[in-house]
Amino acid sequence: MNFKMETRSVESKPPIIELEGEVDVYTAPQLKQQMISLLESGARELVVDLTKVDYLDSTALGVLIGGLKRMRERDGNMVLVCPSPRIRRVFEITGLDKIFDIFNTAQDATESMGKEKL
Amino acid sequence: MTNSQRAACVELRFPCRPEYVGVARLAILGVASRMRFSYDEVEDVRLAVGEACTTSVEWAERNSKADSEIVLRSEIGQDSLVVDIFDDAGERGDEARVGEAEQESENLGALLITLLVDDVTVVPRDGGTHVRMVKHARQR
Repeated sequence: MNFKMETRSVESKPPIIELEGEVDVYTAPQLKQQMISLLESGARELVVDLTKVDYLDSTALGVLIGGLKRMRERDGNMVLVCPSPRIRRVFEITGLDKIFDIFNTAQDATESMGKEKL
Repeated sequence: MTNSQRAACVELRFPCRPEYVGVARLAILGVASRMRFSYDEVEDVRLAVGEACTTSVEWAERNSKADSEIVLRSEIGQDSLVVDIFDDAGERGDEARVGEAEQESENLGALLITLLVDDVTVVPRDGGTHVRMVKHARQR
């Protein structure tokens, strides 16, 4: 299955989960597990980078919604990086683009979180 | 294709398990790509079929139907594609067994299918469910 996940953590910045390939009913549980691990280790902010994702289904959307809820319950936030019009369209037609903050680059996403703290 | 020609039919049978949903998506991508669909329409069909198969897989897991299968049948018309998805994953009745997060994702899946294809019907069948989706190619 075409799926990769990597988590980058730089001190004083929110961790970034970079996803690649297809995020679906088979692979989304790995994303869920990684989000739970980050929450348990104290993360309150998270960037999920979908730049290299070429397919995303409702299971993945459900995992992302769950992650966002848990972050916000802890007064944190989770934002998405999604420059691809095809993937962004899935958020738009389901109305989820109004719930998630979606950026074109990881830098914009990270900077937006820094601004929230000011 | 002339009117006298029968619509072409492509059929795929695969295990009703998460790791095979991608196989169904690849198959329908190949079928839809041969038609007069735009790039976006092909993507619509791929996503809708993926969602329908995902719902079958989730019910197979809830109903402990580990040996269940999905039959994906696509009928290629001149300007439309009819996709039938048959599963034997058991009844989709007991919502008490569906967690809140699962329900949310399943509702999103159903919403996506409705928005992506022109017509969808979901009919219970003996031991499972039959989903029929129709996608018309837009006139260009």
